[in-house]
Amino acid sequence: MDAWIEFAKGPLFAVSFLIMILGLGRHLFLQLDGLVRRKGRRLLKAPWRKIFTDSLSWVIPVRHIVDVHRTVLFSVSSYIFHIGVIVVPLFLADHIILWERLLGFHLPKIGTLLADVLTVITIACLLTLLGCRLFVERQRGVSRVSDYVLLVAVLIPFLSGFLASQPQLNPISWRAMFLIHLLSAELLFVLIPFTKLAHIVLFFFDRISQVHWQLRPGAGDMVSETLYGKEAKV
Amino acid sequence: MNVAANEKEVKIDTAYPYRTLSYFVEDPPTGNRVDRFLEAFAVVLQYTDYKSLLDSYCTTNNKCNRCAVSCPVYQVTGNPRDIPCYRTNLLLEVYKRYFSIGGWFKSRLSSGIELTEELIDEMAEVFYRCTACRKCSMECPMGVDHGLVTRLGRYILSLIGISSKALKVSVREQLEGETHNTSKVPKVALLNTLDFLSEELNDMFGVKLDFPVDKSNREYVFFCAVSDYLMEPDTLMGNAIVLYAAGDWDKWTIGTQNYDGINYGLFYSDWHLERIIQQLVQEVTRLKGRNILIGECGHASRSAHDFVPMFGGKEAYPVVSFIEYTLNCLQNGKIKLNPDIVTERVTYHDPCNMARSGWIVEQPRTILKSFVRDFVDMEPKGRANYCCGGGGGLVSIDEIHDFRMEIAGKIKAEQIAATGAEIVIAPCANCKKQLKELVEYYDLPCKVMGLHDLILTAIEIPNGKSAVERKEEAEMFAM
Repeated sequence: MDAWIEFAKGPLFAVSFLIMILGLGRHLFLQLDGLVRRKGRRLLKAPWRKIFTDSLSWVIPVRHIVDVHRTVLFSVSSYIFHIGVIVVPLFLADHIILWERLLGFHLPKIGTLLADVLTVITIACLLTLLGCRLFVERQRGVSRVSDYVLLVAVLIPFLSGFLASQPQLNPISWRAMFLIHLLSAELLFVLIPFTKLAHIVLFFFDRISQVHWQLRPGAGDMVSETLYGKEAKV
Repeated sequence: MNVAANEKEVKIDTAYPYRTLSYFVEDPPTGNRVDRFLEAFAVVLQYTDYKSLLDSYCTTNNKCNRCAVSCPVYQVTGNPRDIPCYRTNLLLEVYKRYFSIGGWFKSRLSSGIELTEELIDEMAEVFYRCTACRKCSMECPMGVDHGLVTRLGRYILSLIGISSKALKVSVREQLEGETHNTSKVPKVALLNTLDFLSEELNDMFGVKLDFPVDKSNREYVFFCAVSDYLMEPDTLMGNAIVLYAAGDWDKWTIGTQNYDGINYGLFYSDWHLERIIQQLVQEVTRLKGRNILIGECGHASRSAHDFVPMFGGKEAYPVVSFIEYTLNCLQNGKIKLNPDIVTERVTYHDPCNMARSGWIVEQPRTILKSFVRDFVDMEPKGRANYCCGGGGGLVSIDEIHDFRMEIAGKIKAEQIAATGAEIVIAPCANCKKQLKELVEYYDLPCKVMGLHDLILTAIEIPNGKSAVERKEEAEMFAM
């Protein structure tokens, strides 16, 4: 068991983390490349002000939640979930050591109690999101298998991490729980670039997708000419 | 507030699979459409910039369903195939399967989606069940622009010959016909209409105005939705009288080579969009004009404002919306509006292409509040306002009238009923047509007008009949 834990903490962690970084880097590169090389100077003409204020309105999205009030449960839990999912993995005291070893610098840490409360809230939010997907008909109708799988994939590291830190609640041995925690987190790292979790970076490009109304001059002509020749008719 | 149509039996076939399209297609393509669709898709990806956008959307679309509850169509039908995210996903899945490495890899491992004739039929139907109002895009936490994807889907379909006949015939006349406008209004008819308007203005105001036609070196070259010349004389007279009252009568002109601001390319084709914009710019260059003045029309304003800078090249003239022009005149004291004329309760409908996708939200409200006593806003208003139900070119497709009334426009009718307004102002030719049909369909106790129709009744001009006199005359005439 100890050997497994050492393996998961060491090489496996490094490899999965590397896959995540490279995968996200690829997304970032392709998107930036697509924008800069294809759009070029037209980027300057995009309605950046509007894009910026629109995006800013999502930082504290009270208006969005009030306006589309039929999704209140989903929207609120999804918002709170994101706080937990960013803060706990990055700033938990036990994780700080890990980041320091990997990245070489020191992140600020949060207290154990705060971390515990945040974790419980995050788990509750995750379960709510899962419930919404299962029981709200319109949402179930469009959900894919991956939408459920990913919720569980995020849930396991949180749940196992919490149980590992609470010996009185932990039904199995600490080592087994810790190993589950490590492996599930590493699985998540690998999944991130290949699934919708890639919105960690792609989110920014979605938000500015209004720039794609800056159409390329002459492209329409080229498309019609290629398909129907120079004499293309309406 | 709930509204219901009286004693009308309507059957709208929403059953899946969509065997027949609800709109007419000119020479529908036969044979192997799948290969042609993929070929068209590949060519579009090659020459346009949509690739990185689709890459990102494919990965991130979350299926959270916030778009569903903001979509006026889905809220009425409850049909999962009307959910914006579902519709967008149809095109994204095809993209992923045939144009990305992951999709190719996945298709080797399992039998994923395949582009089939049925899927093409479904896309053809659902992309025209969307009014491209982009309300869902505003409520998408990721920022996925479903309107843009719908438009791209329609563009690819149009390249294999599937597009609404009504739109296509109009665009053909505009680009390749003799009249160069969507309603086929010949030059003679335009001149007759302008004579008629001039006489009407003379009767109304007691001033003789000759419309400036084909004048060179003017400040503004005027384009409106060409249908206004046939159906909305009050809007045009309102436009004219503002120009006269502001002392700008010798600063504007109408061109006779091209007098149509309509651009259906905005709804379904990059190619047509660009060519129509170029045609518009050519006319301004021919007349040596300095600005493009767009009348009351939502998508004409947006397409000119957004795409003239893009496609106009060195001749990218500044675009001014008539609403901005009027507000400017009002704020500089160049025109006066009598606050005692309009006593009815007035509400304002935000055309999607002006508010949400444009830049005109507060301007018309400032104008209205300056002379209307009882102004109420709809709920929601401004950029969050609902589409009239005829957006994205749907209003021009007569065969889907029942869909526009029963489904796409239902929420709008409820919104209007809830305000209790007697006058609905909609500064857009398309919205006006749709709203007039809606008001009739649901027997709502109100009338639909353009912004300048209302200004026409309340404006005070130098050396002419006053607004009060005109109102009395109109009332006598009505009796």
